[in-house]
Amino acid sequence: MKLDFDTRAKPGQKWYIALGMEGSANKIGIGIIKQPIGDPSNPENRSIILSNIRDTYNAPPGQGFMPRDVARHHRNWVVRIVAKAISEAKIEINEINCICFTQGPGMGAPLQSVVIAARTLSLMWKIPLIGVNHCVGHIEMGREVTGANNPVVLYVSGGNTQVIAYSRQRYRIFGETLDIAVGNCLDRFARVLKISNSPSPGYNIEQLAKKGGKFIELPYTVKGMDLSMSGILEFIEELTRRQNEKIEDLCYSLQECLFAMLVEITERAMAHVNSNQVLIVGGVGCNERLQEMMNIMVKDRNGYVYATDERFCIDNGVMIAQAGILEYRMGGNCQIEDSVCSQKFRTDEVFVKWRE
Amino acid sequence: MSKEIIERVEKILPDFDLKLVSQGAEALVFVTEKHPYLPKDIKPAGLTNVNNFIVKYRPRKPYRHEKLDLQITKSRTAGEAKLLYKLDSLNIKAPKLIALDAINGIIWMEFLGFRLPNGNFSSLKNWLWFIEKKGESEAIGQLAKDVMRLVGYAIAELHLNEIVHGDLTSSNIVLVKESETEEKYSVALIDFGLSSYSNLVEDKAVDIYVLERALVSTHPQFSELYNEWLLEGYHSLYSEKKKINAWRDVERRLAAVRLRGRKRSMLG
Repeated sequence: MKLDFDTRAKPGQKWYIALGMEGSANKIGIGIIKQPIGDPSNPENRSIILSNIRDTYNAPPGQGFMPRDVARHHRNWVVRIVAKAISEAKIEINEINCICFTQGPGMGAPLQSVVIAARTLSLMWKIPLIGVNHCVGHIEMGREVTGANNPVVLYVSGGNTQVIAYSRQRYRIFGETLDIAVGNCLDRFARVLKISNSPSPGYNIEQLAKKGGKFIELPYTVKGMDLSMSGILEFIEELTRRQNEKIEDLCYSLQECLFAMLVEITERAMAHVNSNQVLIVGGVGCNERLQEMMNIMVKDRNGYVYATDERFCIDNGVMIAQAGILEYRMGGNCQIEDSVCSQKFRTDEVFVKWRE
Repeated sequence: MSKEIIERVEKILPDFDLKLVSQGAEALVFVTEKHPYLPKDIKPAGLTNVNNFIVKYRPRKPYRHEKLDLQITKSRTAGEAKLLYKLDSLNIKAPKLIALDAINGIIWMEFLGFRLPNGNFSSLKNWLWFIEKKGESEAIGQLAKDVMRLVGYAIAELHLNEIVHGDLTSSNIVLVKESETEEKYSVALIDFGLSSYSNLVEDKAVDIYVLERALVSTHPQFSELYNEWLLEGYHSLYSEKKKINAWRDVERRLAAVRLRGRKRSMLG
């Protein structure tokens, strides 16, 4: 099967330009990318990032972010950030081919505030809308940045924990969390410790864990291909309340335990699909200890780990633009009445038209 | 990488001639001719194969903290051994436990199965491929039907004892010769690494569903018939034990799981 990526190109057009708008959680990100015509899987046709602007809403220590507050934050910032992204990209508005927005999954209120902005821009500038699945955005950006062609994807963030592999035009979920996401587990632990939420609770736990060294036994809950983390959280919260252990050791043990579980299910998925590439995406993917453990595992399988840095791991607008531009080039078009966003939008619901 | 792991297991078990037969994400399986503790001239009693033994080894995972790794290896290896012992006491056909070294992650068990005429091991997968080569009349003949029904029966035996296998595929099912002269087989389940105790209908239905999917992907030509026979066999034990209501629950849930069909659909 040969895919044609350029049915929508006008005569003489050399580039596609997409504006991506992300706001599924506490970050609002607007990104603009430019992609040359021709097969995007060809390394010579890499996307060029014109701008990648992000603003993060941080809750005070000891608290999580509330949907209402995040939505207000996004509404306050969206116009300024779009304007900044466009001026930084040095493009004219009529050069933009499509406006891509996160259609889900995520928190309802923040999602909605960004979707409204996207619809407004689309109607105002008469540019087609493209709805993008947040997880697929992460995967496509990871593939684009690292050049991994068919990896097993570990998607770990504050709201999602999934092991994904591509098969027959879907990103299929191999294993996932049965309750809370790994990032959520870390965030909530940070709340118990009352440590700062800036730049992110996970980052602060990672720094504390570097100072710890004593391993405290925690429940290890891999259930086949899936995992469960709420019990571990409850267990370690209780340990914290008793105040018998050093905070650094608790952080260290929690990371060791959670990440070992993630690496284990990833390894299982790799054995199953016979792949030796792993791509780590999502906010928790920035964690150096997770990357290190993954590297050790993959070395034993003679494979490669592909990881990105915080610009692309953490939610951003560019990734939405990247997945959206591919959808657009394959003929995708989201009518205003279909642009309703959803908190529940599974990765495997997306039909991946742009891969064979 | 497997070289280092094999060196490690050879260090733990010196003087055993280990032949690697399969390698998964979690464990390596070897065959050896030497019994772990009996002298050469005493043959173990109660085993179908007294000359070959299986050694299942869960290697250290260097990415895990040592303490965590030991905890996991120990509990999983011991758990699997306990389950094998339980199956034996329930008279369910599965490899018999011979020896256990939980700290090193090693289980010794009975060798089940034989060599097919084409030289391959008699897993259900290999056997089905073998008879599929012989032509359609063999592939969906009486023997195939009998074997598939036995498979269903064996799974039902497990489920009626509130045990779920957790990783049923056609390579985790083994044919055992019942007679030297004619083609008569019994069926044993192997690899209980992901098994657990469960009385949930959901777990049982998912167990069957996983096998159905595995059959569809490895034997696509006749999988529909195979799955039908499988369920016939499964049903037959439930009706023998007069557990028709339990069967209906599983059947209904299985239909729902099939519709859901998105989780664990990555087989093959």
